[in-house]
Amino acid sequence: MTLPKPAAKETAESAGKSAGFGSPSIEAVDLEWTYAGRSRPALAGINFLLEPGRVLLVLGPSGCGKSTLARALVGLVPHTLPGRWQGSLRIGGKDVATTPARFLGEHVGLVFQDPDSQIVMGRVDDEVAFGLENRGWARPDMQARVPEALEQAGLAGFGLRGTHTLSGGEKQRLAIADILAARPSLLVFDEPTANLDPPAMHATLERLAELAERREHTIVLIEHRLEAALPLADFVLLLDDEGRQLAFRPAGSVGPEAIALLEKSGAWVPRAWKGTGERRGETEPDKPDWRGDTTAPTAPTRQLLLRAEELCFDYPADASGSHAALESVSLEARAGERIALVGPNGAGKSTLLFLLAGLRRPSRGSVGLREVAGGDSSLEDLRDPSRLRPQEIASRIGLVFQDPELGFVARTARDEVAATSRASTSRHRRKSRPLDSDGVLARFGLGHLTDQDPFRLSQGEQRRLSLAALVLRPPAVLLLDEPTFGLDRRGTEAVMSLLDEQRATGQAQLLATHDPRLLPRCDRVVALDQGRIVFDGTPAEFLANPPYSPADPWRDGAALPDAATNSGAGPGTKDLR
Amino acid sequence: MSLMSSPLGPVRPDFLTRVTPVARLLAGMIWLVASVLTLDPVVPIRLAAAAIVTIVLWSGLPLRRIPGRMAPLGFAILSLTFFSIVLSAANSDRALATLAQIGPVRITGPAVTAGLSVGLRVVVIGLTTLLVFGPSDPTRLADSLVQQWRIPDRFAYGTLGALRVAPFMADDWSVIGAARRLRGIRASGLGRIRDFGDRLLVMLVAAIRRAERLALAMDARGFDSGIRRSHFREMHVTWRDWLTVAVALAVAVAALTLDR
Repeated sequence: MTLPKPAAKETAESAGKSAGFGSPSIEAVDLEWTYAGRSRPALAGINFLLEPGRVLLVLGPSGCGKSTLARALVGLVPHTLPGRWQGSLRIGGKDVATTPARFLGEHVGLVFQDPDSQIVMGRVDDEVAFGLENRGWARPDMQARVPEALEQAGLAGFGLRGTHTLSGGEKQRLAIADILAARPSLLVFDEPTANLDPPAMHATLERLAELAERREHTIVLIEHRLEAALPLADFVLLLDDEGRQLAFRPAGSVGPEAIALLEKSGAWVPRAWKGTGERRGETEPDKPDWRGDTTAPTAPTRQLLLRAEELCFDYPADASGSHAALESVSLEARAGERIALVGPNGAGKSTLLFLLAGLRRPSRGSVGLREVAGGDSSLEDLRDPSRLRPQEIASRIGLVFQDPELGFVARTARDEVAATSRASTSRHRRKSRPLDSDGVLARFGLGHLTDQDPFRLSQGEQRRLSLAALVLRPPAVLLLDEPTFGLDRRGTEAVMSLLDEQRATGQAQLLATHDPRLLPRCDRVVALDQGRIVFDGTPAEFLANPPYSPADPWRDGAALPDAATNSGAGPGTKDLR
Repeated sequence: MSLMSSPLGPVRPDFLTRVTPVARLLAGMIWLVASVLTLDPVVPIRLAAAAIVTIVLWSGLPLRRIPGRMAPLGFAILSLTFFSIVLSAANSDRALATLAQIGPVRITGPAVTAGLSVGLRVVVIGLTTLLVFGPSDPTRLADSLVQQWRIPDRFAYGTLGALRVAPFMADDWSVIGAARRLRGIRASGLGRIRDFGDRLLVMLVAAIRRAERLALAMDARGFDSGIRRSHFREMHVTWRDWLTVAVALAVAVAALTLDR
């Protein structure tokens, strides 16, 4: 619609402004980087040449050095972060290691994963201008450029809004406007959609597709949502879990041996690369058990573990948006049932989790929790969690937060696992089998880390530890906030199979998630929108007709219509529009 | 601090919103100095009245939100005043007449005067803070400090970044408490001090990580890279600024000297 005009203007202006640099090539020769204080390199043996104006997608498991590569491309490594640099990385012919950061800064821009920790200013236009001020732009130039950059990022007219009033997706588009403003010729995106709900993710990737289309920038994209990202890429760089390069190939011709290595490393692998003949709805065709083997345990005979009736929650009027209100939400969870709780950012998911766990009192309505699965099923022993003592509540309900760090209570992984059982009442201690913490850690793949400080573990390890900590005395109902956030395929599988084990013992699980890939592994989907339940049914029904607009991102995220059509897309073919 | 770190709500344009933040800061300081110059409770009463009139007429602040936001401060002021009166040394001075007797506690006139004067000063501090920081967002103050008072960029905008992390710390604190409660961690007696320390440590670790990410994002956008920074929004000193400071000074002098 309005795209062609600003695009033409942009070309004319950038020709005058950044002449001599153009959109740069990237050339890495035996690049190796070791962070100060680490013995193993974060990146090693990186060798590739990316031509100007191309889009590079970087794939690899968690902790493979993808973010380190992004930092190197904008000069944060080695100029801001300390460590040892070997080999060379040239951007447009300039060696990153010897080029002053301020020169690089004019030509490169990096969008980070977390929208909340890259916004500095209180107002949208100030925020976009921040990077220009740092580069010493003249005021009239800034005044002309800020609205243009906002428009390019799809935020036209947002200039006077407070940055704290934006949704997660809007914040991420603001971060894109921030870097576009300075007219960089190399754009680097480090998992820009990780924190976003499917529609916001879709909108962000659409902006990326438009940028890629125009061929004015060299783009490096790190992204877990491969089905949407792969069609944008001209080339792919595959890294293994130790930061070593597995392959650098045109996106359309990645050989089976490279794909096999990537799979082995535990990374997410695009479905398009896994042969043909997959049916809709299968996220991991090579692992039929991925969808979970217990089918539809919605029979009302199962024991009721959690009942929420007509929950309403009004936040004080001046609380600025960190929690959403709820209106008349009713929900039941039965033994062995896994429920996905979905909805856009701000729909009330985390408020609901807090109310169910008794951490906030509802304005109206009630929550009832049963102590353990099994035993007598009268409704009398459903208790209000906000009236329970801490020792009583831990056996009924547990909550794994999106940021597991905030829940850690001990200085070693072993003590972390032991802490919950220590806190239990003596009655429970007598009843439960004396399992040792080390045994639990071993089962969770953390056996070698028993004496580690929980804060020093990787993201995936922290998530597994937070689940392990609940094993010695599993709660009857487990609430999880984005349990697979930021995890690669191996990490996601590890978490989900641990959850399967717990569910098999009769635990009810409620997962708040943005990841449509998890839906097929749940028994029920409860969808929230603006504080109300807008859907409650099976995953199949939900995916057939998601109650959101636009609905496609939900559908496509769980089961993209055969992505194999894109697998032959070589350089220059762009399908996402 | 919550007055500064989270916006009060939509501010409509008014006289004070057009005054440069440093001018408001200067005017506010004049009132604060005036309120501590004497022990006479009449001075803070006059200043508080002037502040309320200014808030209502010229600040552009959403008036309905103010009582809610000031409630915690109001409670603190009431308890401060109460204890100042009850614990005043003047109560044990036998030469003074008893004003009231609450159980064993004798209240004298000068104790009440001194207590009120302490409480009212805090009222003035609260209202003045609202007038200084309320009408514009903290970015304007940073701009103003850098451009008019030549405060270094690194300090002013660095502080601004830190201010953005502050509200998250409050959220983190409540999540940490929630997580511990659900894990069945219960501290009693002296254990509470340790528990508090543990929670604080976790919150600080989280805050430092957040701050590191923000600092990295600021660096990636060329902050403090040695280039002379330009300014998107120019802060001009206008007649409004001079008028604000002059009126604040006149009000302060009047409040101090009116009946002397």
